[in-house]
Amino acid sequence: MTDAQMKQWTFKILVLGDMAVGKTSLINQYIEHTFLEDYRPTLGVNIISKDIEIEQIGSLIRLIFWDIAGQDKYENCRKAYYEGCSGVLLVYDITRHDTFINVESKWMKDLLNNIRRKCDFLLIGNKVDLKNNRVVTYEEGKSLAEKISAIDFIETSALNGQNVEKAFLRLIHRILKQFGENFEID
Amino acid sequence: MIGDYKGEVNNKVLTALMQAYLDVLDYDGLKSILREAELLELKDIRDFNSNKSIDFFSFKKIISAQNCLLFGCYNLLFEIGKKFSFYLFPYGKNFEEIIIELNYLIKTNWNIEILDKSQNYMTNELETITLEIQNCIFCSEVGVPCNFIVGFLVHSLEKSLPSNREITFSGLKDPHDPSHNSFILKLISKKK
Repeated sequence: MTDAQMKQWTFKILVLGDMAVGKTSLINQYIEHTFLEDYRPTLGVNIISKDIEIEQIGSLIRLIFWDIAGQDKYENCRKAYYEGCSGVLLVYDITRHDTFINVESKWMKDLLNNIRRKCDFLLIGNKVDLKNNRVVTYEEGKSLAEKISAIDFIETSALNGQNVEKAFLRLIHRILKQFGENFEID
Repeated sequence: MIGDYKGEVNNKVLTALMQAYLDVLDYDGLKSILREAELLELKDIRDFNSNKSIDFFSFKKIISAQNCLLFGCYNLLFEIGKKFSFYLFPYGKNFEEIIIELNYLIKTNWNIEILDKSQNYMTNELETITLEIQNCIFCSEVGVPCNFIVGFLVHSLEKSLPSNREITFSGLKDPHDPSHNSFILKLISKKK
């Protein structure tokens, strides 16, 4: 099948969560399979596109990730960034309990107040490589995902790549399903 | 990018556009657009030499990157268009002069022209301005809404009028219409 014969999709995906939970690192790991040791906070929004092909459904998909700064100073402009999103990755850090609490009390609230159309979101507990510092259990994460009606809950490590691809693909799978397209995830 | 991209764009336009990105998307947002345009080397230049120009092809690469990354962001494009007007003409200017100067600063196969103006015959206040936009370079891709140029025009008119006036608009085509970047825009001035 040539590119011209394939169905073309564009999806805007937001990545939300407190500062330093690993949003940028997750995207870097998914797109480039890299991890930068130095932490540099995002200023405003980092927007990155990635084109993927899903042969099973003959589709070319352009993913546009909006990695939105987690700092409070961006609270006002952040709302404008939500427009037109198709899906959301909500991220917390399993070693910092406040980031877990803020998923529901801050990010979900913010999201629901500012999106006009229905969009799917997936909950991610990041930094599972730091298992000795874990303060949020898997069960707590799972339970929160059910409470906020997330499509799934996945624990990841942006450092070693564990489950990163799976989390992104799971969200893309769900978005495409809304458009009547279904494919198998390995 | 497919097509013929001949022409040149005065550096003032580039400076104003970079400032608009910084205001609305901050530093990482600006870098994202320049990275997508493969022109990241421009990221730390705040004041380009206004006596010089860049080639239209490079400028169009930035606009295409903007339109790709800001897919579906109608309000943000409008906001960036407004900021672009603010930085391109910071000291305010007569609306007619702004249109003439914009055509002069961006020299390529496009045109913006005022077709008609109507005023209230009692108060002499402006009521409507009708513009013809041909081959708008800011929204030439199919699917990209014309909100950037409309934001620019709305803000440019707004700042040339008394502060008690607000501007609404009509005339946008469906962005999926391949000829949507040539259109007749009506700007309507009303008391707030």
